[in-house]
Amino acid sequence: MQAGGIKLSLGVYTALFLIFLYAPMVVLAILSFQTGPEGGPQFPIIEWSTYWYKHLFGLTPPSRIAPLPINEALVRSLMLSVMTMIVSTVLGVTSAQAFRRRFPGSGVVFYLIVLGMMVPGVLVGLGMALVANALGIDRHWWGTAFVLHVVYTYPFAFLVMLAILNRFDQSVEEASWSLGVSPARTFRRVTFPLIFPGVLSAMLFAFTLSYDEFSRTLFASGRDLTLPLAIYGTFSVEVHPNVFAFGVLTTIFSFALLGVYAILMMLSIRRAKRVAIQEEA
Amino acid sequence: MLISATTAETETAVEPVKKASGKTLWLLAPGVIWMLLFLVTPILMMIYVSFWTQTTFKITPDLTIKSWVTFFTTDTYLSALWTTIRIWLIVLVSTLVVGYPAALYVGLFVKNKTIQTALLVLCVIPFWTSFLIRVLAWRPMLGKEGTINLILQGLGIIHQPIEVLLFSELSVIIGMTQIYCVFMVGPIAFMMGRIDQSIIEAAQDLGAGFWRIFRTIILPLTMPGVVVGAIFVSVMVLGEFATAAALSGRKVNLLGNIIVTQVGSLKWAFAAVVGVVLTLLMGIVVAALLRVVDLRKEL
Repeated sequence: MQAGGIKLSLGVYTALFLIFLYAPMVVLAILSFQTGPEGGPQFPIIEWSTYWYKHLFGLTPPSRIAPLPINEALVRSLMLSVMTMIVSTVLGVTSAQAFRRRFPGSGVVFYLIVLGMMVPGVLVGLGMALVANALGIDRHWWGTAFVLHVVYTYPFAFLVMLAILNRFDQSVEEASWSLGVSPARTFRRVTFPLIFPGVLSAMLFAFTLSYDEFSRTLFASGRDLTLPLAIYGTFSVEVHPNVFAFGVLTTIFSFALLGVYAILMMLSIRRAKRVAIQEEA
Repeated sequence: MLISATTAETETAVEPVKKASGKTLWLLAPGVIWMLLFLVTPILMMIYVSFWTQTTFKITPDLTIKSWVTFFTTDTYLSALWTTIRIWLIVLVSTLVVGYPAALYVGLFVKNKTIQTALLVLCVIPFWTSFLIRVLAWRPMLGKEGTINLILQGLGIIHQPIEVLLFSELSVIIGMTQIYCVFMVGPIAFMMGRIDQSIIEAAQDLGAGFWRIFRTIILPLTMPGVVVGAIFVSVMVLGEFATAAALSGRKVNLLGNIIVTQVGSLKWAFAAVVGVVLTLLMGIVVAALLRVVDLRKEL
């Protein structure tokens, strides 16, 4: 009986917890439909409009509120995330593959890799800027910032792949080897399809983390802004609802990405199932 | 004959191991080199530069401890250090207090696996919005004319808007708690899911009440989750500067904010000193937490 009361109150608490998580975003989304350009970033909504969405794309008559510099920043951010995703996934898969055998010094290597996600961005960013200064290298988003993004996302890819390979049935590989298939071919035809869902997750992780990363980018990217840096730039000035409209759009983009991931995941699982059935028949 | 057979055996036995370690080396090399070049080198450089000589707009590689002395004799820096430690501790406790009951409910009381997964996904969804946007989203909530004040006034609970909600230490704590509590809930809920239900049933059959079960079974078994969550939250909060910049109106200066300001005014050596202090703080915290739980075993 007592447990019933506790269950009820914990349930109510969890509902409140979810409201706490979602309320700011809901409010932000509502306020993004504030009228412009005189409507402010707070209630009440003077008049519902899509003014700030048009403002983002430069479709409104010029006003004293500067548009967000998102055009080129968006292209840069996407390119940076794709580059980071590819490199960190490759590194993650290869090093997780290495960890399948015991080797001396594995503890040190493990913590060296995991350190990449532990060290705050502002620290590596500062260190990288200092190294670049000392060596006389120009800082760019595709250079100094890119390598730091990989430092950050590669540990995630590594841990995901490690978890996948921990549950991996090695006998399929051994069967392939004993049938005289070369290790490279075995990896391509047997191992890789089996770990593909993990690879997909690692890629998703790397892409989203890099797309949203700004503390490493701040010092290391030089003059050209990425998307998060463009948003960070609005922190010091007065906030207008155009930032809110932009927040809604990026959130929708993230969900689209999540949708693509879910579809790819479903397809790969279905394919794995089909292969399994064929083999049984 | 016998001897040659054994040597042949040892040879074949040794050979694949040797081959394997060579292969392992090649598989590891790219990642390890990347981390050494782009993670370890920058941190070492930061330590090195913290001993350089800082003049108004320039640093020269003449070694000195002047910047260090400046750090420990300047009130701004020292108070930033205390603020960082204070906010870190408060946020750590608040994410735990706010997150644990939710994790307890989802992990233990929701028996339906589908609903359980749905609730966990619901907790993770806000994480999909840009971090900076999530920080900014607190401004229209907490302001003097913000949503919370409007609602409280509308309900007649208060008659004057609560001004301390925005541009204060409180707003930074509220914002950080919401943004980081997911990282606390996740590991704890994961550990809850691992608890064998039959232990709890056995305890119930023996007549133990909820609080007793909670204290002697659930809490100890979820402790690794708490520690892992604490590592996540600590690492992120200690390196923070954006939330304080957006929500405190420059009233709260964390070590991260000091670094940003120093870099902005080209005081690289001072920035490096603050960076090293932050690294040390972080190292102590994470090392202490890792002593309690082995991260590799929890995977």
